[in-house]
Amino acid sequence: MKRICIYTLICFLSIGLSHAQVDRTKYPEPGPAPQINIGDAETFTLPNGLKVFVVENHKLPRVTYSLMLDRSPLLEGDKAGLTSLVGDMLMGGTKSRTKDQIDEEIDMIGGRISFGSTSANASSLTKYQDKLLTLFADILLNPSFPQSELDKLKKQAISGIASSKDSPDEISGKVSNVVLYGKDHPYGEFATEKTVSNVQVADIKQYYNTYFKPNIGYLAIVGDITKQEAERLTKQYFGDWQQGEVEKSTWPIPAAPQGNEVILVNRPTSVQSVVNITYPLALKHNDADAIPAQLLNNILGGGSAGRLFTNLRERKGYTYGAYSSLSPDKIVGNFSASASVRTEVTDSAIYEFLEELKRIDKKTITEQEVADSKAILSGSFGRSLEQPATIARFAINTELYDLPKDYYKNYLQNLNAVTVEQLNTLAPKYIKPANAYIVVVGNTDAFKDQVAQFGAVKYYTNTGEPEVKTSVQDSSLTAEKVVDKYLDAIGGKEKLADVKTLKSVQEAEIQGMKITAELLVDQTKPIAVQSMKMGPQVMSKFIIYQDKATMINQGQEQEVPAEMFKSLKNALEIFPELNYAKNGTKLSLDGMVKANDEDAYKVIVTSADGTKSVNYYSVASGLKLKSESASDGEAEINEYKDYNGIKLPAVSTIKSPNIPVPLKMVAVEQVINPAFNEADFQ
Amino acid sequence: MNKIKLVKGGLLLGMLGFAGMLNAQEKIQFKEFKLDNGLNVIMHQDKTTPIAAVSVLYHVGSKNEKPDRTGFAHFFEHLLFEGSEHIGRGEFMKKIQGIGGTLNAYTSNDQTYYHEVVPSNYLETALYMESERMLHAKIDSVGVETQREVVKEEKRQRMDNQPYGSILTEVLKRAYHKHPYQWAPIGSMEHLNAASLQEFMDFYKTYYVPNNAVLSIAGDIDYDQTEKWVRKYFAEIPKGEKEIVRPSIVEPKRNEEIRDIVYDNIQLPAVVEAYNLPRKDSPDSYALNMLSTYLAGGKSSLLTKEVVDKQQKAVQIMALPLDLEDGGLFLFLGIANMGVSADSLEIAIDEQIEKVRTAGITDKDFAKLKAQTENAVVSRHASVAGIAESLAEAKVYYGDANDVNKELANYNKVTKQDLQRVAQEYLNKNGRVVLHYLPKKAETK
Repeated sequence: MKRICIYTLICFLSIGLSHAQVDRTKYPEPGPAPQINIGDAETFTLPNGLKVFVVENHKLPRVTYSLMLDRSPLLEGDKAGLTSLVGDMLMGGTKSRTKDQIDEEIDMIGGRISFGSTSANASSLTKYQDKLLTLFADILLNPSFPQSELDKLKKQAISGIASSKDSPDEISGKVSNVVLYGKDHPYGEFATEKTVSNVQVADIKQYYNTYFKPNIGYLAIVGDITKQEAERLTKQYFGDWQQGEVEKSTWPIPAAPQGNEVILVNRPTSVQSVVNITYPLALKHNDADAIPAQLLNNILGGGSAGRLFTNLRERKGYTYGAYSSLSPDKIVGNFSASASVRTEVTDSAIYEFLEELKRIDKKTITEQEVADSKAILSGSFGRSLEQPATIARFAINTELYDLPKDYYKNYLQNLNAVTVEQLNTLAPKYIKPANAYIVVVGNTDAFKDQVAQFGAVKYYTNTGEPEVKTSVQDSSLTAEKVVDKYLDAIGGKEKLADVKTLKSVQEAEIQGMKITAELLVDQTKPIAVQSMKMGPQVMSKFIIYQDKATMINQGQEQEVPAEMFKSLKNALEIFPELNYAKNGTKLSLDGMVKANDEDAYKVIVTSADGTKSVNYYSVASGLKLKSESASDGEAEINEYKDYNGIKLPAVSTIKSPNIPVPLKMVAVEQVINPAFNEADFQ
Repeated sequence: MNKIKLVKGGLLLGMLGFAGMLNAQEKIQFKEFKLDNGLNVIMHQDKTTPIAAVSVLYHVGSKNEKPDRTGFAHFFEHLLFEGSEHIGRGEFMKKIQGIGGTLNAYTSNDQTYYHEVVPSNYLETALYMESERMLHAKIDSVGVETQREVVKEEKRQRMDNQPYGSILTEVLKRAYHKHPYQWAPIGSMEHLNAASLQEFMDFYKTYYVPNNAVLSIAGDIDYDQTEKWVRKYFAEIPKGEKEIVRPSIVEPKRNEEIRDIVYDNIQLPAVVEAYNLPRKDSPDSYALNMLSTYLAGGKSSLLTKEVVDKQQKAVQIMALPLDLEDGGLFLFLGIANMGVSADSLEIAIDEQIEKVRTAGITDKDFAKLKAQTENAVVSRHASVAGIAESLAEAKVYYGDANDVNKELANYNKVTKQDLQRVAQEYLNKNGRVVLHYLPKKAETK
């Protein structure tokens, strides 16, 4: 009896337990969907045309001011980079405050102020709001644009450009924009060392006077503030801002390529290839297709649930992430699908990308994908409302992109109304697997043959220039003839053979310091002396003989290593081309390319000891434009001058692994056949 | 991460217009309880937006790894998305996104953090899913193979292929000789390749257990209902039986400077300086955070003003405070301007640090620093996800979630003299690590 009792008890207990056990085999049912409330922004316009939006939110005692200027895209041309300097120039000083004072006063209230060329932001705790606005308005209305600030900013920008040449992502972005829009389009141009150095204070002033006008401005005020206060404060601080006419401009819409084109940028140190499949797209924010296109992109590659991520990362493990974007724009939008993939799978990854693009065009979108993507987009919409700035952004976007007044109020409803059929019909209109640029930045030698299957291959440089290589039309032309033409162009073999000695003094500037390089050559001995001075101080001095070279160090003469001598001994020959035939140098003509923006013959020079270098000779003038080698780096000849009927380089640019910046050398003294005495070579 | 940036609060006295003193923080209200299996649970209610943040902080990071199996904790950050007994492969991300949520995870030297933000009617779903991966995550050879490749690509993309991407790895291996902080969370690909499935299983059973985790939930929630769901899904998860290994070794104080050159694919040289910090829970942490802001936070910070603006020796100088449980690093990175050598930049940075050590800071700068700190503390926690994270971290590292409400008071205790004192004590040339990042082409010349 007792035993039964216990059994019953155990039985009860176990039933009890199994009832309490959680059903883990399926997801819990969600609760009823919460109401999503989209607040309204209050709005008013100042007499000068500045349109103000106010979003009250008193959760934190802070307030943020965001200004946006609505101007047409701008082609900066030979001053590209100008707009990127405008914001910091505004922050560089006002009529009554230096930059130091501005920075100091902002930090004193723990606030933040930043300016761009079409935007500005300021935020602080509410209690410091008056001080914040005093500074914000002073920067906006009374900038002084000091020259010293521009000099500094230009220097930083140029440093930035130098470092961007090594970043595969930046190279990819730059080259993609060039092929998409062309360099003569606001979206395709980019800043170079040269264009940035062209920017003057007057250009910044002109930009400011043209575009910083209240009548093209939207000011969003978000946070711990009321509409009434906002009206009082904006009138007080921005009421005096003068309006002015701002012209609109229009830009051409570039077409997608007829067939796929493969654009390669060689970065031999890469362990990964940055792949970007991209083409321009006519899609505006207020198009009826804009919301369906967002869903379409989300299904393809919007995130970690997208087809691209699932395939290239989760199934294949080619990459850390693969995504796509389909961006609407006021002028011309674009599609982009990209990933960083390891070098060995570059071609396989491109293949998979294109397969996914093709597949989505074949009516393969499912109900489940559409439902999931709707949830993703509506979820992100809902979450974004946690930040009060979102409401202000909605109000400004409605104006900027000419959206229907209730666009955001109806967004979720319109999103949910999109059907599978609609998306399957729409896909081929926006996803173009056969009209794309396939831009690859990586170690191209490892895969250039394999990627040719995807389309015609073009090479670009890491500075965004096309690397055009064409075969030479005239089949009778040889490297020897190119070299002869060069010798003729600089004075002719006979004259050149008479040059026995040379003195050349050149100057360059680095960090405000003057560098002087002096070269003395006497071919009859033969002997040469090469010295380098920084300011008045001798940095290095080499004496080069037929069979060795020495370095003078604090009065001591010391022989240099063999490798260094190999490079130094070139100095013994004033015109090395003159001796190619005699000393066993081998030449080969490797087609035509661009060098310093000119058509040039590329000649590969292999000296008797096997050292290789490459010379570029102008097709038009015959002159040597550039030479490069692994050991000595690159020398561009920018200008020749005539010295007694012989042309010598007068301005050249040296890029070498041993110097951090390109050096622009300007000849200050060049003498042909000077008389030397013994002391000159000590 | 910089603690200043992670602190939250509001102002009670703000309306009175007091300035010059840090005011009291607005209190973050929360409820907490502990399950029998050791899981700590913290809840914070904020009904303004219909979303809920759910996060699990596992107190395991790269410092819990064996020296010949580095990269495990970070590998689990990936592996635990592979699915569980009831959630199919790849379904975790799909499901969260499919209900309109978002998710992510990260791994540090001290912790692995998983988090989701979902529409509030899906709170139960998110809790169920987190409980699934704590109870029986899917750890099999298919998942391990796939994620191995993904992690290798992550390393290539974020470190090998990025200029200056290897800084953390290079600094850590020189700054720590005994403590497992000597390797970075990304770890060694060779170790991941060599590890067997059983080793992964053991690591999971040791560290991804309720008694080594904090579950925090913030947003549009009902306290009672949330607690019921937590108990429903997490109470049955067994307590971990294996010993949780926490390094007890104290990195010995070094008395000599360590310097080295790293060649990287870069154009501009860079200087990295790393000084040893005390344990995260040291009272000096607050003064050190303020010192870091003084030196390199904001446009009028000392190094930016002097070395970037005036001397133009650097393009940028950043403070990258690595605030770790057993004592992290006070890390600077300066990227040289064109034509400036690493040596000359280093001298310029050191000059400024020496200035603080010998002369301290002015009253005006101290007032400024207080305003910056106040703004950072108040501005923190504009999101429920941020609140969930701070509550969990406070619980783990300070033993008390309510520590989030004491930040401002703790900063208030710091004096001007403290700043000079910590500069003298910690920013010491003896024992620091100095790295010069130089362009690779300079190496092969």
